[in-house]
Amino acid sequence: MLVIRPLQENDLDDLHAMAAAAGKGLTSLPANRELLARKIERARDTFLQRSAPEAGLYMFALEDTELGRCVGISGIEARVGLEEVFWNYRLSTTVNASRELGVHVRTPTLHLTNDMTDTTEICSLLLAESHRKGGNGLLLSRCRFMYLDDFRKHFSDKVFAEMRGVSDKDGHSPLWEALGRRFFDMEFSKADYLSGVGNKSFIAELMPKFPIYLPLLPDSARAVVGRVHENTEPALRMLQAEGFNFNGLVDIFDGGPLVEAFVHNIRTVRESLNRHVMISQKPVDLDRPAEERVMVSNRSFRNFRVTTLPIDCIKPDTVSMPQAMADALQVESGDLVRLAPLKDSGRSPIQTPTHTNYQRTATR
Amino acid sequence: MWVVRPAQPDDAAAIQKLAAAQGARVSTLPRADEKLSEKIAWSCRSFAGDSEQQGRERFLFVLEDTSSGRICGTAGIDAHAGNGQPFYNYRQDALIHASHELGISRPVEVLYPSHALTGCTLLCSFMIESALRDTDAFELLSRARLLFIARHRALFSDDMAVEIQGVQTESGAVPFWDSLGRHFFNMDFDAADEYSSRLSKTFIAELMPPNPIYVTLLTEPAQEAIGVAHPLAQKTQALLEREGFRTGDYIDIFDGGPALQARTDTLKTVVTSLPMVLRPGEEEAEAGALCLLSVNDHDRFRCVLTPLTESLDGSAIIPVAFETLLGTQPGEEVQVAPL
Repeated sequence: MLVIRPLQENDLDDLHAMAAAAGKGLTSLPANRELLARKIERARDTFLQRSAPEAGLYMFALEDTELGRCVGISGIEARVGLEEVFWNYRLSTTVNASRELGVHVRTPTLHLTNDMTDTTEICSLLLAESHRKGGNGLLLSRCRFMYLDDFRKHFSDKVFAEMRGVSDKDGHSPLWEALGRRFFDMEFSKADYLSGVGNKSFIAELMPKFPIYLPLLPDSARAVVGRVHENTEPALRMLQAEGFNFNGLVDIFDGGPLVEAFVHNIRTVRESLNRHVMISQKPVDLDRPAEERVMVSNRSFRNFRVTTLPIDCIKPDTVSMPQAMADALQVESGDLVRLAPLKDSGRSPIQTPTHTNYQRTATR
Repeated sequence: MWVVRPAQPDDAAAIQKLAAAQGARVSTLPRADEKLSEKIAWSCRSFAGDSEQQGRERFLFVLEDTSSGRICGTAGIDAHAGNGQPFYNYRQDALIHASHELGISRPVEVLYPSHALTGCTLLCSFMIESALRDTDAFELLSRARLLFIARHRALFSDDMAVEIQGVQTESGAVPFWDSLGRHFFNMDFDAADEYSSRLSKTFIAELMPPNPIYVTLLTEPAQEAIGVAHPLAQKTQALLEREGFRTGDYIDIFDGGPALQARTDTLKTVVTSLPMVLRPGEEEAEAGALCLLSVNDHDRFRCVLTPLTESLDGSAIIPVAFETLLGTQPGEEVQVAPL
């Protein structure tokens, strides 16, 4: 069984191996043991509510219960830009026009901003190569939306994700080569690493503060502003299906886009509902395609757990599951769990006719 | 003999012919007939001391070969750069981007849009027949203006500026423009240059990017052209530097050419020129040292290069031929500067 649960200290080895395999481009998770250990510690403090709500870092692990190890992670940063400064470029338009000469020129311009300050970020999605199948990536990503909605007051109304921008196989980013390098005098990977380990003051010190007129940059650099790395395209499509949209901001290093959505508009949130658990003795075939499964969460703040079960386990006011799954979710018969579609092309729990009379998850 | 005098309406055709033969461009001289005629008419009023023009005087001089009556060059003064409108330049500056933690400290060059030279007295519209570039006529034409300024100091500002033509390749491409201005003005350099000589400067305010420009983002040829004079303008620059002009922080917004600056009262011609009284001409005065000599004020202004000897009482003696040419009478006061 594959179960989402809070990231724990004993996940460090698995996490380090995954971060090392992911290589460059994952700014928030450099393969640095000490740093990863600190992240795990921060996540633990967050779930135990030992830290201030705005300092929260929620890290979830995907555990393969048969292997007994962590095969993927995903995270939520409660608020960005409160301790350090969170930088982006805003891609905007400058118009120069002369009626007298009949000239009207639109110039795409990058303005340095801190516009995402105090906003919740979904981040750090990482899945082991061996488990990139059967909707595991969807589970890792979408489980977070149920969490965001169930614990709204810990997060901002709007959430965003930074998408990895374009770079070649050697990790060279065309935007960095044309822009960042000229001011930072270092390799993209080093800047990315420094930024990832939370050392962001150098950005304020070295980054150009005046707007950058894009026509001054070479074509190769202009072409990647607001574009994602090809490996990130599936993740972008998944977020777009959830209702996330490009918000006009891009990463200052590689030009990757930011996408954002209001929590109440996220599809997983809108299409989820609550059911009471009913333990069933009947064996359940869990090996079903992603389209036929739904996510089920235990709605716990401290010990959030999510797995998937076949959609036909959903009954008018209950959801039936085997004892082993109830154990994995740490729920008992009668507990209220939250259900949401795993795949966007899959059947939604609330679209099944038998459930139309039942109450949806109340919007808080 | 050469004489520099105010341009007259009749000179328009000759000026145009001269401009067409120039390898280098003179952006402050309009190419269109009517605009040139307007400019000459404006200049005539300025020389005449038209009070309506106060603060917006623009003087245009021509170099005439008196033996043939041919016009061989032009030179101008705008009493106040911008002529009542903003005068645009980029100011070169550097910001230090430093990170203590990373041990990095480097200057980042920035071009700031600036109006700081607005109101300076501007030397402009300089062109001369290429055959005369290496003769004394070159110096006569350029410096005659300064004698005029010395003579009419109150009309002019305390600060002087002159824009030197920037780099242009043999094929006519202007690297600085191609890397910067073209993106915003959406036109060729020649078109922009023509508009700037002909139209109000409103279009510059409308089309020029309002924010500072990072030099490092420009193309290499554009970066190399910043503050560099066109080869054909280097002689002009050298002469002006001998006068006391210095390259400052300002460059042209179109071609990146340098704007030279000076304090009016420290210019060599202004400092060293002095009024003298003319004594009756003598044939043997040919032996004297060549000097710049100007007579008369305003629209009767004339400036020549003449051998001059100083008499014991400090008055000037020049050859009779020059006296005849200038139509001066003994006892008249003239302004003299050494060549």
